[in-house]
Amino acid sequence: MNNKYIFGGFIIVVFLGMMAYLFTQTNIAYENDFKNVMNTENTVKATGAWVKAKNYHIDSDKNLFSFYMVDNHGTELKVIYKGAIPNNFESSTSVVVTGKFQKGVFIASDILTKCPSKYEEQFDEETKS
Amino acid sequence: MIGNIFLTLALLASLFSLTMYYFTYKNYNNTLKLARLGYHFLTIFVIAASLLLLHALLTHNYEIKYVFNYSSSDLSTGLLISTFWAGQEGSFMLWTLLTVIVGLILLEYTSRRGDLEPRVMMAFSLAVTFLLVMVNPLLKSPFNYIWTEPTFIEVIKLNSSILSQSFMSGFFFSDPGSGKDFVKVGPELVAVLKANGITLNQFIIEGKGLNPLLQNFWMQIHPPILFVGFAMATVPFSFAFSALIKNEYNEWVKQSLPWMLTASMVLGLGIMLGGYWAYGVLGWGGYWGWDPVENSSLVPWIISVAAIHTMLVQKKNQNKGVGRFVKTNLLLAIMTYILVLYSTFLTRSGILGDSSVHSFVSPGAMVYLFLVLFLGSFTLLGIGGIAYRWKYLNQKFNFEENVLSRELALFTGSVALIASAIIILIGTSAPIFGQSVELKFYNESNLPIAIIIGVVNGLSLLLKWKQTNGKSLLQSSYFALGAAVVSTVLIAIFGDVSNFMLVLFTLSTSFSLWVNIEIAYKIFKGKKSYLGAYVAHVGLALFFLGVIATGGTSDTKQINLVKGETVSALGYNLTFNGYRSIEGGKKYAFDIDVKIGDQGSVISPVMYVAEFNNSLMREPDIWSKFTRDFYIAPVGYNSGEETHQSGNTTPIKMLKGDTQEAMGAKITFTNFNLPGSGAEAMMSGGVFKVAAALQVEINGKTFSAEPYLEIQNGERKYFPATIEEENLKFELTSVEASAGSIHLQVSNLDGSSQTVSTPKVKETLTVDASIKPFINLVWLGTLIMVLGYIISAMRRTKESQS
Repeated sequence: MNNKYIFGGFIIVVFLGMMAYLFTQTNIAYENDFKNVMNTENTVKATGAWVKAKNYHIDSDKNLFSFYMVDNHGTELKVIYKGAIPNNFESSTSVVVTGKFQKGVFIASDILTKCPSKYEEQFDEETKS
Repeated sequence: MIGNIFLTLALLASLFSLTMYYFTYKNYNNTLKLARLGYHFLTIFVIAASLLLLHALLTHNYEIKYVFNYSSSDLSTGLLISTFWAGQEGSFMLWTLLTVIVGLILLEYTSRRGDLEPRVMMAFSLAVTFLLVMVNPLLKSPFNYIWTEPTFIEVIKLNSSILSQSFMSGFFFSDPGSGKDFVKVGPELVAVLKANGITLNQFIIEGKGLNPLLQNFWMQIHPPILFVGFAMATVPFSFAFSALIKNEYNEWVKQSLPWMLTASMVLGLGIMLGGYWAYGVLGWGGYWGWDPVENSSLVPWIISVAAIHTMLVQKKNQNKGVGRFVKTNLLLAIMTYILVLYSTFLTRSGILGDSSVHSFVSPGAMVYLFLVLFLGSFTLLGIGGIAYRWKYLNQKFNFEENVLSRELALFTGSVALIASAIIILIGTSAPIFGQSVELKFYNESNLPIAIIIGVVNGLSLLLKWKQTNGKSLLQSSYFALGAAVVSTVLIAIFGDVSNFMLVLFTLSTSFSLWVNIEIAYKIFKGKKSYLGAYVAHVGLALFFLGVIATGGTSDTKQINLVKGETVSALGYNLTFNGYRSIEGGKKYAFDIDVKIGDQGSVISPVMYVAEFNNSLMREPDIWSKFTRDFYIAPVGYNSGEETHQSGNTTPIKMLKGDTQEAMGAKITFTNFNLPGSGAEAMMSGGVFKVAAALQVEINGKTFSAEPYLEIQNGERKYFPATIEEENLKFELTSVEASAGSIHLQVSNLDGSSQTVSTPKVKETLTVDASIKPFINLVWLGTLIMVLGYIISAMRRTKESQS
C-alpha cells in the first residue's frame, strides 16, 4: 500500500469524521415559520421582518434591545437581544436572529440585518400609488 | 451607451482571439498574429469601457443606473473612485478589467516560453469571454440607463425647479408606508423631458450614495487587491489545462509556479486587509468571523497554498527524472480557480442572502443561471480534462514515497490543508440546505489541523528529499525541539495559555518557527534568494501565535462612562470627556482618556446617524501598543438631562434612539418624520415640516406624541404635542436633523406646578472595551508572509525562464 494514501487517507478520514460530528453538534437550522420557532427548544435562526409599527425599545441600563418580528404568515414574535441596536437596523427589510424561544419571548444571541438598499432597491414593490 | 458598445466589441474580440488561438493550436499558420491582435483589441476595449465608467462616476452621470445607485456628489474623489466596485455590476467590471490586464502580461510571458501561448491563452480567453458575457448589457452591465426599466426615484434626488413644472404631473407617486414621494422615471418621462429640452442628467441631481459602512480608506484598496487575486487564479488553471491538452506534464509546473505564488500572495493579502478593515474600522471586534463571504475567498487561498507545496515537489523531482504529485498538482491548480468561481457563485447569486453580513442580494434568475453555467463549464473542463487523461496519468505517474521523506511530509501537509478547505467549504455551503453552523464548528475543527500543519512544516524542512536517516533527523531537530519546548512553557506561563489544545498548538507553532528561523539564519549567510519559503513560514508561525494570543484570552466588558467620572476596567482607568463633531459636523467623536500605570492616551470612538439609511453608525477606536491593543467599540450615548430646571418644565436634549425620564414619564425619541414631500418643499420655498416621533410610557401605559417644527421662508415655528389623559405637553425648542438631536421641553398641560424629579440620568457613554493581546502579531505575521511570498515568486520567476 502506498504511503501517500495511508497518510493522506488517514487525515481525510479522521478530519471529515470529526467534521461530521461537529456539524451535528453545532448545526443551527433556519426557520421562517415562527410557529415552529415557538415549538422547539433548539437554537434556531429565525428569519422575518421587523414590525416597524411596534417600534423598538432600548434599555440602556440592562443593555437590552427588544423589538417585534413578523414572519410570512403574520405570526409575531417578541425578540430580546442582549446588546446594542445593530448598525443599519432601521433600514433593514429582513432580520435574522439566532437564539431560543423561552417563556414567551425569543432570546437572541445574534442579530443580522439585511438591507437590500445596500446594493439594489426595488421601489416597485414598496410603492403603490 | 458607448460603454455597452465597447463591452460588446470586447466580447467579440475575445471570441475572435479564442478562435484564432484554437486554430493556432491546430497548427494553422498566420493565425497567431490575429489571435494576439484580437487580445490586444479586447484589452483596449475593456480599458476604455472602465475609463468610461470611471468618468461617469466622477462626473455624476446619474442617468446611468449604476452611477445613481452607488455614488453621490458629496463623496471624496477617492471614495467616488471606489464606488466603481461598490455594486455587483461594477465589481464584475473590475474583475473583468483586472483579468484582462493579467492576461496581457500572461500573453507576453507565454509567448517567450516554447509553444505554450496558444494552449494557455485559449483557456484564459475562455475565462475572459465568460466574464465579458457577465457584464454585457443583458446581464450585469454597469452602463445601462436608469430609465430602461421604470425606476422610482425619491423627489429629494431630483431637480425641484423641473419638478414644479406642469408636465411633471402624472409621474408622482407616494409611498404611504414611509410617507415619501417618488417620481417614476421611465421611457415616458424621458420622452416628456426631451420634448421640453431637458436632459436626464439635469433632472436627476443626486445619487443614492455609498453605504456608510463602505465609506472608508480600506474600501479603496481591499476589493481591488482581492480581485487581482481572483484574476490571477485564472492563470494556474490555464497552465494546467494546457498541460492536459498536450498530455505533457513537466513544463507547466515550472512555468506556472511564479503565477501561483503571486496569486496566492495577493489573495492572502486581500483577505487579511479585509480582516483589518473589520477589526479597525467596522468594529466587528475581531479580524475573522468565519462569515461565508470571508470563508469563500479563504478556501481557494488554502488550496493555492497546498498547490504551491506539491508543485515544488514535482518541480524538484522532475529535474532528476520523473515528477511526483502530477495528478495532485493538476487537480489543485484547477480547483483553485474553480473555488474562486464557486466563491463568486455563493456571494453573488443571493443564495446566502440570510446568512452573511455582506452578501449581495439576488441578482435575478438570468444571472443566477449564468453563474451556474460559468462554474459548471470550468468544472467540466478542468475535472473532465483530468478524468480524460486519468488512465495515462495513473500509469505513468505512480510512485511510492518513503515514510521519512520530505515528499511525503509535504504531501501530508497539503492533505491537511485540503481537509481544512473541505471543512470550511461544507460549513459555508450549509445555508444552501437551510442549515448553518456555529462558529465553534470552524474553530474546533481547524485547530487540530493547524497543529498538524505546524508539526509537518517543521518536520518537512528537517527531512531530506527521498529518504532520511532516522538518527540524523533526530540530531537535526534538537535545537528546534528544545527551543520550542522552552518558548511554549514561557508562553503558557506568562501568556496564561492553559487550554490543552492551545498549548499543543503553541508547541507545534513554536517548533515550526524555530526550525524556520534556524534554516533562514544559515541561508541568510549564503543565497538570499532562497529565503522566501522560510520567511513566509516564520510569518505564518507569528500569525498563528497572534491567533493563539487573541483567541485564547480575549476579554470583553461593557462599561458605562459617566462624563467626568473615572471608571476602572480591565486594568485601565477610563474617563469620558464629552464629544466633539468631526468631518464637518457629520460625525461625533467621543473622547475617552485612558490610563494604565503612568501611560495614557485618548481613544475616540465615533458615532453618527447616517442619512443614507437613517441609522446609527458606530466606529471603534484602538490604543495600539505592540503587546496589546485596547479596543473600544461604542455602544450608545445618553446625553443626560440638563440641570437647569424651572418649576413645571423639564428641558431635555435627546439623540435619536435615546430614552429619558421627565415628569414621571419615560420618553423615547424614536425617529424623525418628514411628512409630505419635505425636501422638495424646502427647496422650492414651501412649508417644510419635521416631526419628532416620541414614545411615552407613563403609569404603565404607552402613548405616542409627535411635536413638530415648520419652516417657511427660513422662519421656524414649533408646534407642541399633548397627551391630555396624562396632562403632558411636549414642545420642541430646537431640532438638528443632521445631528439627529432634538431639544424637548416637557411640561404640564394646565401649567399646574409639579415636583420635578432631579436628573437621574447623567451624560453617559456606553462602550464595549476589550484587550487584544499581541494582535499585532497577526498583522506582522501577514506582512512577513507576504514578504516571503515575494522573495519566492522572484526566485521562481527566474527559474521559469531556464
